[in-house]
Amino acid sequence: MVGSNKNNKRRLAVRYVLATLLLLVMVYPYLYMVLNSFADWSQVDRQLVPSKYSLQSYEWLLTGGEVGIARPWTNAFLNSVIVSIASTFLMMLFGIMVAYALSKMKFRGRDTVNNFVLFHMFFPAIILLIPNFLIIQKLGLYDTYWAMIIPKAVSLWAIFMYTNFFKAIPDAFIEAAKLDGASDFKILYKIMVPMSKSITAVIFLFLLMERWTELLWDMIVARSDDMLTLNVLLSQMFGPYGSYPGPLYAASVLLTVPIIILFIMFGKKFKEGMQFSLK
Amino acid sequence: MDKRNDKLGWIFSSPYLIFGLVFFLGPLVWSLYLSFTDWDLIAPEYDYVGLDNFLKAMATPGVQAAFWVTYKFMIIFVPLVTAMSLAVAVVIQGLPRFKSVYLIGFFLPYLSSGVVASLIVQGFLSYNSPVNEFLRGTFGIQIDWLGSPLSALFIVGLILAWKFTGYYALILTSGLESIDKEVYEAAAIDGVTDRQRFWKITLPLLYPALYTTLILSFGVTFGIFTEVYQLTGGGPNFATNTWQMEIFNQAFTNLQAGYASAIAILASLVTFISIFAIRKVLEMWGKRNGWV
Repeated sequence: MVGSNKNNKRRLAVRYVLATLLLLVMVYPYLYMVLNSFADWSQVDRQLVPSKYSLQSYEWLLTGGEVGIARPWTNAFLNSVIVSIASTFLMMLFGIMVAYALSKMKFRGRDTVNNFVLFHMFFPAIILLIPNFLIIQKLGLYDTYWAMIIPKAVSLWAIFMYTNFFKAIPDAFIEAAKLDGASDFKILYKIMVPMSKSITAVIFLFLLMERWTELLWDMIVARSDDMLTLNVLLSQMFGPYGSYPGPLYAASVLLTVPIIILFIMFGKKFKEGMQFSLK
Repeated sequence: MDKRNDKLGWIFSSPYLIFGLVFFLGPLVWSLYLSFTDWDLIAPEYDYVGLDNFLKAMATPGVQAAFWVTYKFMIIFVPLVTAMSLAVAVVIQGLPRFKSVYLIGFFLPYLSSGVVASLIVQGFLSYNSPVNEFLRGTFGIQIDWLGSPLSALFIVGLILAWKFTGYYALILTSGLESIDKEVYEAAAIDGVTDRQRFWKITLPLLYPALYTTLILSFGVTFGIFTEVYQLTGGGPNFATNTWQMEIFNQAFTNLQAGYASAIAILASLVTFISIFAIRKVLEMWGKRNGWV
């Protein structure tokens, strides 16, 4: 018995070592990015772990270096914040509304709407790229925030997730509230939304992350320099002979860290919601 | 089911319905129409050219490459990400402490942007990078990582595997946790070896979760754009030219909107048929082994 206990302990230790090694390999690219963003320019991309550090790259990002224009980066960051928050907010709002109608409201035509959503989910998004771009042009929204927000205001995935979640909430809650004279808006706001807190954290993070890192769409509907999002600006600045790798790493940190902070803030709720959504 | 209820239902669904009409149903029809024309994205007039676009597309090396490249990425990416996420899930399953710290750590790569991941990889493999210095100094070889077809494919596959491993490991971990502990205890009494335990018990009972990650990872290979756009531009010689890359190039670089629409329709058809076939094969495979 004692022997097997010792054996188990050794096994556990081996697994911890393995898990830590795996984790280091997986997180190393992030470390490489952060270290290089703080590295002296003579050492960027020259060493696995730089030995000389400076704030040069961040300074360049904020002041624009010898080019002297700081605006592109701070402006792009703000654009990313505006576009992502507006888009994500709308995707959440509409997701909850439509899911409530599809799961808890009994109305004529519900099956039709439901089938339309399923039919829509079925199509690879690539087929819509060109005509959607043309629609944005025709509506006169090309090169505006709206071009990046409106076509990304509805998420089928969010509707799908919320519909499944709402279906699991017993109808009795809603009927009781209705007897008390609550309207559908009130039920949605006072019962359904609070009850779906954990899954909301998951949906919010996934939507925000995808919107924040979107490249293709933002790239084709925004052209002028002060409309670019951070991800698109970074993409444009980066070529095989890019002369400023340091600031690009600093910009990458700027693009990655906010999402990671949010993720860690919502970490616990995220885990709960994930467990539910994976069942 | 009174009239008032009907109205409210439609009001609640209206955001989606309007969106679906403007940004899905309309564009779908428009896309079909465009694919039969020779429109160049700018000129006011354009001609109906019938099936010419489709025939032309199928004969060009770019489109043919896009067709095959997806499957090449599949061969590299799917086994890689499955093995990695399975390894992560098995190693951290049932750890008494810090399990969620590990899970969150492994999930972090999923939050990165494809542009950032490409930037890091490019820097890491640049001419003076530690990797290349080491290879030159020790073995006297210089590898053109992104300039040779096989390594370019492999690098993009590796970036994607890095990104998705933590996410899929999360799915597999919850699959592992749902396996009844008593099955393992009974097996232990029967004197089952570790290897048998993994192949005969864990894997079959994990199959539903594995099926999910497999379907998701096959799906990923049809939508590759950012990493390829950033690192190789579809090259060398179309070796990493994905569907999205080809459509983007034809529509927004060469300004051939009609022709690009035809390619988009071809891409959708190929995606649709492939995913359907993959699902069927996976289901049959599971059934034949008695896993489902």
